[in-house]
Amino acid sequence: MKTVRAICVALILALGPMTAHAAPQVSPENWAAYKQHFLEASGRIVDNANGGISHSEGQGYGLLLAYLAGDAAAFQLIWSFTRTELLIRDDGLAAWKWDPATSPHVGDINNATDGDILIAYALGQAGAAWGDPQLTAAATRIVKAIGRNGLWDHQGRTLIAPATTGFAAGEQADGPVVNLSYWIFEAFPLFAQLDPSVDWNKVGGDGLAVLAAAKFGPHKLPPDWLSLARRPRPATGFTAEFGYNAVRIPLYLARAGIVRPDLTRSYIKDGRFAITDIATGAAKDTLDDPGYRIIPAISACLTDGSPVPDELRRFAPVLYFPSTLHLLALAHLAAHDGDCR
Amino acid sequence: MTRTLATFTAGFVTGAAALWSAPTLLGAAVAGPEIDFITTRATSGYSEGMGSTADRLRFAQPRSPEEPQAQTQTQAQAPAQPQPAPTGGDPVVDASALRYFARQGDTRRLQAEIERLKALYPDWVPPADPLAVPTNSDPRLDAMWKLYAEGKYAEIRKAIADAQAADAAFQPPQDLVDRVAVGEARQRLTNASDLKQYGTVVQIGADTPSLLTCGDVDVLWRLAEAFAQTDRPDRARDAYIYILKNCDDPGERLATVEKALPLLSRDRIDELMAQERTGPDGKGEFAAARADLVRRNVAAGGKEPPETVAADDVAAMSAIAEREGLASDALLLGWYHLRARDAASAETWFRRALDKEPGAEPAQGLALALLELKRPADAEAILSKWLSGASEEVRQVYLASVANTLALVPPPTLTPEVLARMVAAVAAARDAAAAQQFGWYAHALGQEQTAVQWFAAALAWKPDEEPAAYGLALVSHLLGDKDRVADLQRQWAGRSERIDRLTQRPDRRGDAAPRATVQTAEARIDRTETSSSGAPASARSAAQAAAPRGCRRTEEYARLSGSAALNRGWCLLDLNRPIEAARAFEQAIRDGGGKVRSDAAWGQSLAYLRAGLTDEASVAASKAPQSRERSVELEASILSTRASNFFDQKRYGETLLALDQRARIAPERLELMVLRGYAYVELRRLGEARRVFETLAAAGNKEGRRGLGVIDAVTGNGN
Repeated sequence: MKTVRAICVALILALGPMTAHAAPQVSPENWAAYKQHFLEASGRIVDNANGGISHSEGQGYGLLLAYLAGDAAAFQLIWSFTRTELLIRDDGLAAWKWDPATSPHVGDINNATDGDILIAYALGQAGAAWGDPQLTAAATRIVKAIGRNGLWDHQGRTLIAPATTGFAAGEQADGPVVNLSYWIFEAFPLFAQLDPSVDWNKVGGDGLAVLAAAKFGPHKLPPDWLSLARRPRPATGFTAEFGYNAVRIPLYLARAGIVRPDLTRSYIKDGRFAITDIATGAAKDTLDDPGYRIIPAISACLTDGSPVPDELRRFAPVLYFPSTLHLLALAHLAAHDGDCR
Repeated sequence: MTRTLATFTAGFVTGAAALWSAPTLLGAAVAGPEIDFITTRATSGYSEGMGSTADRLRFAQPRSPEEPQAQTQTQAQAPAQPQPAPTGGDPVVDASALRYFARQGDTRRLQAEIERLKALYPDWVPPADPLAVPTNSDPRLDAMWKLYAEGKYAEIRKAIADAQAADAAFQPPQDLVDRVAVGEARQRLTNASDLKQYGTVVQIGADTPSLLTCGDVDVLWRLAEAFAQTDRPDRARDAYIYILKNCDDPGERLATVEKALPLLSRDRIDELMAQERTGPDGKGEFAAARADLVRRNVAAGGKEPPETVAADDVAAMSAIAEREGLASDALLLGWYHLRARDAASAETWFRRALDKEPGAEPAQGLALALLELKRPADAEAILSKWLSGASEEVRQVYLASVANTLALVPPPTLTPEVLARMVAAVAAARDAAAAQQFGWYAHALGQEQTAVQWFAAALAWKPDEEPAAYGLALVSHLLGDKDRVADLQRQWAGRSERIDRLTQRPDRRGDAAPRATVQTAEARIDRTETSSSGAPASARSAAQAAAPRGCRRTEEYARLSGSAALNRGWCLLDLNRPIEAARAFEQAIRDGGGKVRSDAAWGQSLAYLRAGLTDEASVAASKAPQSRERSVELEASILSTRASNFFDQKRYGETLLALDQRARIAPERLELMVLRGYAYVELRRLGEARRVFETLAAAGNKEGRRGLGVIDAVTGNGN
């Protein structure tokens, strides 16, 4: 018990801005709007663009945003659902998908490691900030489970496996296949404290190194799914595009305080992202939701100091995914007094 | 006194109301001997924290009902969730749940709650009029208990946090907090169990001992299943026995045994059965489960390979079948006795099953029993009624019945009607073995011309069938057809000594007529239990396992003993030399006895199957009288084969002639329309060809489109 307390104190000190008395990084109005749109009374975050399903990623985002909004009640609600319905795997990771239309609601017991990372990260922060050892213990269990079952050692690098099954060498023709948007860099320092037996610092560093090498096609873009069987290349089993996964990469870098314009400058065209075919460079879809547009705006701000426009600071939720990214981006600005760094 | 669990059991959302009404399965603080419940960590992948908790927990030996109820619950909680343990003295009774249920007028839950509180606090005196207890003073608690009654645990957690945010002094009752945790654990355990995450199930059970009570037997069942599925059968048995020792609901007790049946071995099931209670009527409460157990055991004896069945079980099964008169039970006994080589008993039970519920399966079993009893003609008569739409298995048994009937010595007298249906079946199946027997049968009756036709047909269907060639040569020799005999001797030179010797030593003819080559029907069939979930390899793998390797060298296997020939047959079949294998099996059939003979016949049928069938038309079949339906089927089949052969020989005009003849008696099948189309193409009757292929294409047949492409290519060349 003494050790747990010591760690908690250390974390609270380390994470200074998010003590109970600080202003929440997600404003009460924005959070209320988000909850109204995407949080069910049962505690599940509803992906309204995907048939109303829920997933471990959404639950992780929900927990993180509830923490950033300082809403312990919503946090308890979302956590109860997540633990009861998804955190049922023998290995301590979360089942990735929950469908209200099927019985049982979990039809596929596979996990999604970014969901596990988000859940553990939110639990760890909330446990430290709110002095709740049960949350910290739950976070530690998941972080250790990720360390045991969610990482690959491959050619000297420590990689994040997208899931425990389906992506390894031998499971994909050109496996291992990774998803660079599963590197949620801001979580790794906390993970390193919760489970010192895993070199989480190396996980982050190796992610950046792979990211630097993942530039393909006329626009030098990373694909959502990347094969590392030999030299990095777009994985053959997936659509080779810069897609809805990869757009999160600049946001995660910014939130982690990693300022590397060289890595992500090529992702942005005329201040926006486009879903882009890697080989041809053809844009399939331009992303106009402010939840997407605020990410290049923060990148630009980090690069040359241009301010993030006010129109992107207004939150009007429509779809789960961009609205979630929007609140995370706004939380980043709030943590820096409205600035990007 | 025994606990009155039934009232608690009925549908209480979490079962929590019954938590204290029975000793807990994983309680740690009970007096009495303890045995390890979880002695080792799970074999795979628990997270550390969980595993270490599991290691510390122990399983309390359930007390006998006479012992006084001791309050054990809170001390048995997992270390991760420490709570104040009421240690005697003057406990503060939390009656908020009582008040909530009283206000709702929910008398069932109210009563359960009173029982719970009485068990928890022995000195507590329940209110004289429970419905008159004062309502909760705090509406927030009322709302929380309402959510609790609805099983909305996540929302209670939210409500507690909301209340605390608004009022820092708010403290929810510890009882409510505990119950929410238990309710969540139950849901999580159920979800994990549904997804076969047995490690999680065991872990939650270990962490939440208050879940493991008679109030919620479903959780105990799921836990027992999780143990059984993770190779901990003794732990599974302990959990089931816990239920049987402590829980009283008759339906749940019976269901407990029935759930254990497929998961536990026989000896452990017997331990469960030992917990049977006798009702006021003198009947054991597990009678139904015992019957299922007996059925399961006897059914295992009817499988391949058969398991040994205790004589007690057979006797019990017979008694059940007599008493309940179910066709399925009679069938079960039929298969068992057939496998146990008691064909007479098998016949009795199969006949009962057939009388009760006529069907192909009891008919098939009965036919097999009759074949075993050397009454093939009876078998043929029974099965002939079940051929329409019959399974391949049934057809095989029927063909075996036919072959064995024809092989009887002396040759039986068969009515035209019986002969007709036998001919039709043999011709439709192109069964060389039965055709060959028809040859010998005709030969025995002096009908040598007919014998020639049958031997020729057998040889056409299986060109490497030496006995058929021998029969053909023999009868041709008798008829003075020297050309055919010479032809056969040339074809079989070096492969059949007896065909070669036929003209040199006419005095030896006939002594080798292979009456004994008929395969036993059982060997041709792989019977498994009562359904066709068979593993055809099972019979042979046992024999194969014993087979010495090394049969590449060609040997004179006439010198081998029956069992050596059998081994050699399996070996050759492994080397994919089926024709040689069939000959080795043939010798084993001739020289071996009992089991060898049966295995060899089975091997030979596999070998012939591996060799495949060739296409030839049967002309012999048309000479025997047949029903109109059968003769149409047969004629159509012969004509399609003939058409196909003509086409192969590039005789396109005759192809069309055969197809036209066939079209007059039966609708043209798609593949024959394709044949017709290409015959037209070859004859350059392109207009007619195009119409055929267009019809096919319109029916969505891809051969139609391909044919149209061919026509286009042909006309393109013509231009």
